[in-house]
Amino acid sequence: MAQATAQLTRDNLRLGGLGNTLILVSGILGVIGLAAALVMGGGGPAQRDHFFASYLMNYCYVLSLALGGLFLVLLEHLARAGWSVVVRRLAEGIAAMLPWLGLLFLPILWGLDSLYLWVDPPATMDEHLLGLLEWKRPYLNVPFFLVRVAVYMVAWLSISWFYLKLSSRQDATRDPALTMSMEKLAPVAIILFALTVTFASFDWMMSRDPFWYSTIFGVYYFSGCIVGAISLLTLAATLLQASGRMARAVTSEHYQDLGKYTFGFTVFWAYIAFSQYMLIWYGNIPEETEWYLRRQEGGWGTISVLLLVGHFFLPFFALISRWPKRRKNLLAVVCVWILVMHWFDVYWLIMPEYAPGRVPLSWMDLATLAGIGGISLAGALLWLRSRPLVAIGDPRLGESLAFENA
Amino acid sequence: MSEQAPPPDVAVAAPPGHLYGVLAEFDDTPALLRAAAKVRDAGYRQWDTFTPIPIHGLDGAMGIRRTLLPWVVFGAGIAGGLGGLAMQWWMNVFDYPYVVSGKPLLSIPAFVPIIFEVVILLAAITAFVGMLMFNKLPQLYHTWFASRAFASRVTSDRFFIGIEARDPQFDLDRAKQLLADAGSTNVEVIAEPDPPQLPAWVRKYAAPVAAVLLVAALVPPLLVAKARVTPNQNTRVQLIPDMDRQPRFLPQSANSLFLDNRSMRPLVPGTVAAGWAELDPVFYRGIADGEWTDALPVEVDRALLVRGQQRYDIFCMPCHGWDGEGRGPAAVTGQEKSPATWVMPTSLTGPVVRERPDGHIFNTITNGIRTMAPYGDQIRPADRWAIVAYMRALQLSQAVPLDLLPPGQREQMRR
Repeated sequence: MAQATAQLTRDNLRLGGLGNTLILVSGILGVIGLAAALVMGGGGPAQRDHFFASYLMNYCYVLSLALGGLFLVLLEHLARAGWSVVVRRLAEGIAAMLPWLGLLFLPILWGLDSLYLWVDPPATMDEHLLGLLEWKRPYLNVPFFLVRVAVYMVAWLSISWFYLKLSSRQDATRDPALTMSMEKLAPVAIILFALTVTFASFDWMMSRDPFWYSTIFGVYYFSGCIVGAISLLTLAATLLQASGRMARAVTSEHYQDLGKYTFGFTVFWAYIAFSQYMLIWYGNIPEETEWYLRRQEGGWGTISVLLLVGHFFLPFFALISRWPKRRKNLLAVVCVWILVMHWFDVYWLIMPEYAPGRVPLSWMDLATLAGIGGISLAGALLWLRSRPLVAIGDPRLGESLAFENA
Repeated sequence: MSEQAPPPDVAVAAPPGHLYGVLAEFDDTPALLRAAAKVRDAGYRQWDTFTPIPIHGLDGAMGIRRTLLPWVVFGAGIAGGLGGLAMQWWMNVFDYPYVVSGKPLLSIPAFVPIIFEVVILLAAITAFVGMLMFNKLPQLYHTWFASRAFASRVTSDRFFIGIEARDPQFDLDRAKQLLADAGSTNVEVIAEPDPPQLPAWVRKYAAPVAAVLLVAALVPPLLVAKARVTPNQNTRVQLIPDMDRQPRFLPQSANSLFLDNRSMRPLVPGTVAAGWAELDPVFYRGIADGEWTDALPVEVDRALLVRGQQRYDIFCMPCHGWDGEGRGPAAVTGQEKSPATWVMPTSLTGPVVRERPDGHIFNTITNGIRTMAPYGDQIRPADRWAIVAYMRALQLSQAVPLDLLPPGQREQMRR
C-alpha cells in the first residue's frame, strides 16, 4: 500500500487551473446554448413544441450519463471491486452532475402539455383512445407525475450525496469504516436505483406515446446509461492523462477492463433492444407495432439501421479483441463514437413522437445539448476541482494500482 | 515368421530407461520467477514450470507468447453464427417449410435467438476444449511424477522447473548447472522407463484379429440399414406390449356370446340420454301441430339478433355471404375452382326463402338441404333460432317498407 501510494505522490492529481478554464468554458457554453434554444423556441407554438421535445431529449441524454456514473459507483461498492478504485472518483464526478440536472428538470414542468398527450388529450381524438387514456388516468395524471418526479430526484440526489460525501471524507481520514458503510448501503441503493430509473424512463420517455407500452423499456434506457457512462469515464481518463494528470494511476490494465465493460454492455444493449423488438415483431399487434412503425417511416428507418450498425456491430467488432482495449487513444476514439451513437439512441427514443415521418435534426438539438451538457459538466468539474482525481483514501487503492489482467 | 522368443522378463523389469530430463525444486515464487527467466534466457524450448498456485508474471518470465485461443474461439463464434443461420434457413425454407404467425419462411428476427445460442454454444465449447488441448490436458500421468519430491509436493507447497532432454540444445551437465545456479534447492535427473513389451503372440495376432472384429462390427449397422429399406408384412416384435392386446370386444363386430351375434348391446327401448329428451317439438324441430311453425319460439330482442348475427357470420357467411345473397367467399372460390359442377347457394333474401316458414328454415339448418350440410350438431337449438331471427332481419334489410325508414332516408328514397 505504502509502496503503491508512493507511486501516486509523484502524480498530478489535481485539476487546478485547467479545471477553472474548463468550468468557465463549459458554463458559458451552457448558458449560451440555453439562451439560443430559448430564443429559437420562442417563435411560436410549433417552435415551442420543438424546443421542449429537444430539451427533454437532451436532458434524458445527459441524465443517462450521470445515472450511469452513479451506477458504476454503486456497482463497485456492491461487488467490493478492487480494480476500479483508481477511476471511481471520475465516476463520482460524472454522478456529481445530478444536482444540476435536478435544477435543469424544472423547465420541463412548463412543457408538460406540449410533451405529453395524456396531460390534455384533444376531444377530437378517437373515442377508443380517449377511453384508454381515461383508463390510465390514475397513473398518468399531472399531480401524480410531479410526485413521482420528486421521488426520483430525492432518491438520486440522496444516494449520490451519500456516496460522494463519504468518498470525499475518506480522502482525508483514510478510514476503512467509510468503505464498509458504503458497501452496506449499496444493495439497497442499487434496488432503489433500478426502480427509479425504470419508472422515470416510463414516465418521461415511454409516456410520450401514452398508448404504447413495453415492460423492458426501463432496462433498455438503463443499458444505454451504462454504455454511455463508461465511455464518458474512459474518455475523461484518457483526456486527463493526455493533460499530464494521474499519469501512473491508470494503466493499460485499467483501460482494458473499461474496454471490457464497454464491450459487454454494448452487447447487453443490443440484447435488450432486440428482446424488445422481437416480441413486438412476432406478436404483430397494431397497438404495439405502431411505435416501431413510427421509427421505420421517413428518415427514422435510417436512424434505426444506424443504431443497429453503429451502436452494436461496429463497437462489437472494434472492441472484441484485447489489442484495442489496451490502447487508450484507440479506445477513446471508440468511446467518442459510442457517445455519439448513444445520443442518437436517445434521440430515436424520444423524437419520433414529435416528428413522425421526418428526422427533425436541427440547431435546436445542438443548442439544448450544449445548454444542458455544458451546465452539468461545469457542475461536475466544480465538484472535482476541490478534490484529488483519485480516491486516495480508499483501502483498496493499492490493489487497484497493482491490478493486472491475468 | 521365424522370430526369436522374446527376451526374458527380467530385461524389461529392470529399466535402464532413457534420460527424460532434469527437474529442479524451488522454495518460493520469487526464486521460481528468477530461475524461469534464466532458463528462458538460456534459450531452452522444451521446458515447463509447475506450481501449486497461479503466479502473476510467470508467463512473462517464461517467455510464453500470448495464446492463439481467442482467435480460435472467435472463429468458432463466427462459424456458429453462420452455421446457425444456414441451419435454420435450410430447415425452414427447404426441408420443412412451415409458416409461423404469417411470417416469411426466411425471417431473420425469428432466427436471431437460435443464431445467438449457437454462437455461444460453439464459442464456449471451443474455449473449453481448446483450453484443454492447448494445455495438453487431460494428462493422467506425467514422467515428472517419477520424482518423489515432485509427486508429493507440487500441488501443495513446492515449485518446480523441468527441462526435457528432447530439447535440441539439451546437455545434462549444463542443464544441471544452470538450475543449481538459479537457486534450486534440489536438482534431480529423471529417467523415463522404456514402455513394457507385449508378448509375441499378442503382437503377432493383434492386427488380424482387430481387422476381423472391425469388419464384424459393420454387420449390425448394415442389417439395420437393410431393414430400414425392406418392406415387411410381419407384425413387429413387441418387447413391451403394454396395453396393445386387451381382452375386450370391439364395437360393431360379430360376437357369438350374445344371441343377436353383436358385440354392442342395443339401448332399452324408450330410453333417452340425459339432456336429450327434446320434448318440445316447436323449439327442437320447428313443428307445431304437424306443420312448420311460422312464429319464433323464442323472445326476439336485440341480444338475440346480435347473437344470431355472430353465429351467422361464423357458420353461414362463408357460403351465403355477409348479406345472405349467396356470394360468400367459400362459394365464390368453389365457383372459380370448378364452375362446371358447383352449385351456388340459395339467396337467403330472395323470394324462395322469404316465403318459407321459420320452422322450415330451422329444420334446414338442423338437417341440411340438398348440397348443404346439416349444422344441428354444431349449432345449439337456441342459436339456430337466433340465426333464423337474424336472417329475417337480413331479408327485411333488402326490402324495407318505406314507413320503417328514418325520415331523412325516406326523403332520399322518394327522390
